[in-house]
Amino acid sequence: MSPQAFLRRVGFVLFLAVVTAFWALPMLWLVTAPFDAHPGLTVRWPEWTLDNFRRLSESPYAFSSLRNSVLLAGGAMILVTVFGALAAYALSRVHVPGRGAILYGMLLLSSIVTGTAAMVPIFQLMFTLGLIDDRTGVILVLTGGLLPAAIFVLKDFMDATPRSYEESARVFGASPTQVLRHVVLPIARPGLATIAVWALVNAWGDFLTAYILLRDPTKTPAGVVMYTFYSEGGQANLPLISAFSVLYALPVVVLYIFVNRRYGFRFHGGIKS
Amino acid sequence: MSDRAADAAGLGRPRAAAFMAPALLLITAFLVVPALWTLVLGATNYRLTGLAAANPQFVGTGNITEALSDPGFGWSLWLTLLFVLGSAIFGQSLAGLSLAWSLRSAPKVVKAVVETLVLMAWILPSSVVAFLWVAYLSRHGGTLNAILQTPGTDWLIQHPMASIIVFNIWRGTAFSMLLFSAALSAVPPSQMESARLAGAGTLAQLRDVVFPHIRGHVLTNTLLISLWTFNDFTPYLLTAGGPNHATEILPVFIYNRALYGGELGYGSAISFLMLIINLVIALFYVRLLRERR
Amino acid sequence: MGEIRIEGLTKVYSGNVTALDRLDLTINDGEFFALLGPSGCGKTTLLRTIAGLEVATSGRIHIGERDVTKMSPGDRDVAMVFQDYALFPHMTVSDNIAYPLRIRKVDKASRAQTAARVGAGLGLNGLLERRPGELSGGQQQRVALARAMACEPSAFLFDEPLSNLDARLRLEARTFLKGLQHQLGVTTVFVTHDQAEALAMADRIAVMEAGRLRQLGTPAEIFHRPIDTFVANFIGSAPMTMLDADLVRGRLYVAGTTIEQEVAVRWSGPDPSDGPVVLGIRPEYVRVGAFGPMTVQATIRIVENLGATVLLTAETASGDRLQALVPDGTQPAVGAQVELSPVAERVLLYDEEGHLMTPAPQAAPAPA
Repeated sequence: MSPQAFLRRVGFVLFLAVVTAFWALPMLWLVTAPFDAHPGLTVRWPEWTLDNFRRLSESPYAFSSLRNSVLLAGGAMILVTVFGALAAYALSRVHVPGRGAILYGMLLLSSIVTGTAAMVPIFQLMFTLGLIDDRTGVILVLTGGLLPAAIFVLKDFMDATPRSYEESARVFGASPTQVLRHVVLPIARPGLATIAVWALVNAWGDFLTAYILLRDPTKTPAGVVMYTFYSEGGQANLPLISAFSVLYALPVVVLYIFVNRRYGFRFHGGIKS
Repeated sequence: MSDRAADAAGLGRPRAAAFMAPALLLITAFLVVPALWTLVLGATNYRLTGLAAANPQFVGTGNITEALSDPGFGWSLWLTLLFVLGSAIFGQSLAGLSLAWSLRSAPKVVKAVVETLVLMAWILPSSVVAFLWVAYLSRHGGTLNAILQTPGTDWLIQHPMASIIVFNIWRGTAFSMLLFSAALSAVPPSQMESARLAGAGTLAQLRDVVFPHIRGHVLTNTLLISLWTFNDFTPYLLTAGGPNHATEILPVFIYNRALYGGELGYGSAISFLMLIINLVIALFYVRLLRERR
Repeated sequence: MGEIRIEGLTKVYSGNVTALDRLDLTINDGEFFALLGPSGCGKTTLLRTIAGLEVATSGRIHIGERDVTKMSPGDRDVAMVFQDYALFPHMTVSDNIAYPLRIRKVDKASRAQTAARVGAGLGLNGLLERRPGELSGGQQQRVALARAMACEPSAFLFDEPLSNLDARLRLEARTFLKGLQHQLGVTTVFVTHDQAEALAMADRIAVMEAGRLRQLGTPAEIFHRPIDTFVANFIGSAPMTMLDADLVRGRLYVAGTTIEQEVAVRWSGPDPSDGPVVLGIRPEYVRVGAFGPMTVQATIRIVENLGATVLLTAETASGDRLQALVPDGTQPAVGAQVELSPVAERVLLYDEEGHLMTPAPQAAPAPA
């Protein structure tokens, strides 16, 4: 190998090593500290134990917040999937006047009216409606933000599904409801599942909406509780924080692995693969 | 013949309208109304407490003029610009591109490991990664200090902007990496090989073959992640805007003033400005996408 | 019972696109009827309008005794088989076949029984518990047929039933479909763009173009006496040779030869007006050698081997191109000077507008 090629090789390996270290190092704490009997801030080989998880129940808000997260994320997931699917089907199959404009308008809107840009008016809106400190309110806000993208993707998916299935059922005498139940739903399942998972993951990781709309600590989800664990004054309770982080982060990681295995990482961005 | 393909199940217009109603209702309530509401609320001096809460006055563009002369706002805008430039336009784009480029020729295992790590940084919940970095950057016992042999450095206090910029690069590169990965695989290999056979080195290949193909993607990607970074609230979880406003990017500024400080009218006006900026970026993005097609 | 009567059927789409233009058509009970034409001619639109998937702008459709024009598809008592078969991928073959019965609220046991019976009739015995994705193209088609048969409709509607099969399978399926229809005796309307398919399978064919009916007739009628040059060009595996000719005072001048009045009148009909005409003759009915009243001198330019037959393309001194289909082994070489003679009984003459002038023969035409 020529010296040039050798140097290039070395540079390449070095680059990948640095990159790997850069990304891995901050995450290492998450795999060592939760299982460490006396976890510190530094990453170190742990004194293996599962005690930290057992002691989670000592914190009044750890498990309740996880339950709240399930509630909020699950609620958003259901609403986004159901409302999104209904709207996407109607937009795909029925000649609604101006549907192209509606779709693009919606998508544009959701990119512009982000959680951050809308935090003030939403807060004030919910305050006026008396929905502050109400988990239903949070679910509704989350759903509203996720729906445009969901509808866009689902409509694309429906468009790609041949209409002959529905028409076939119709000629055999099925009513529109029967067509939807017997034919459309089963065939659309993979698309619906993808959107459901996407909505779930997004809502599970939400911080801002819950942070500004919920006051009662028994109602706040894991994302906000996690923040209070380490931002409230005094010494951070590392055994608590580490164990809690794992429980909070685990569902998302598991879902990612599951979706990746099942469908491959379908990338919706500038390019679809 | 678009009519013929429509309405395969015989839904009919009224039922279709009913199907779309719940979604449209929610979208109107939580996207359209808040957007319009910033305009209305931003024209008042509404506050959460005190006289202005009970009796808000119409101030028209008063909030905007106040913002323009408010040094805090100007400072926040400047910080946000730095943040977007450093973290998105340069950081994530370059990192994503170099990762995508290098991983093409890396062994499968290495590729899988690196991609998974980068993706994990993206999908882990924000408060978790925020704490991971708080711990990582911590003065006493932070892993970074241990590795760099710089004991006693409180990164978040001494180098706050740098910290959140690096953090955001770490957090967000996954998107750019995936996008460029897909874009690079769309570059015809025959063109790359012709260049290589003609003696072009890596840099020349990049410049002459790859870049023309991905130029469009670079632009749209940069716009998109700029939009996201501009609206990113996560740095709040690391510094809450401190120390002493040193990292008070616009999202944090709005939160601190309006929701923490209770100046809802003022915060609304600033939110409105933010919406305008978002609109400009988004329109640019759509325009570019359409041109690319 | 299964007669389909279409009166003045018109379908106009938004943007003033006329897909069907005042169609009048009667399909007899038990008939195997083909809708044939190039893409965009309206044949699929017509089929879908009969099914009820499209709503006619004006006109009437009767199926049997009933006026179904305004009825929803499910009430018309027809069964439709789509080009892609539209077998529900999440249901087993048995459930697919039984689906129409499920809509009619037939109980589960009877449904399964009927599905098994119909399926067995089409050779689907071991496959009833499989999913459509596991079946071959031919099997999928039979499942689609079984499903259509299961509800015993007044009429079957097939949209390009064979185009999803590969070439070899297609020919087998043709024979199978023809036999099945004959056995069941149910009115069947099928859409195809393949003229050979239509000629082989149908009892009668409707040739359509631009939303209008060009010719309605049996395969023999359409093949031997296409009503205009469009149909003449569309039908036949090798295109009909069209030669420019002139009628002058009863004499026909074509391809450098002159046909005297006594013969020309057979082709042009009595009292034709002078003027340019088009002489049409199928390559199948052109012989090498001097026979009959019209013999043309030509040089062989191209020889195409089609297996048992050979297609010759020859050029006359007048510059006209004439094609002849001859049995393999009898073809002259390229460059050879030959005499070509069309079979007189098969010659057709078309006027300036492309309409057929040649009157129908009094007796059955002599075998070619």
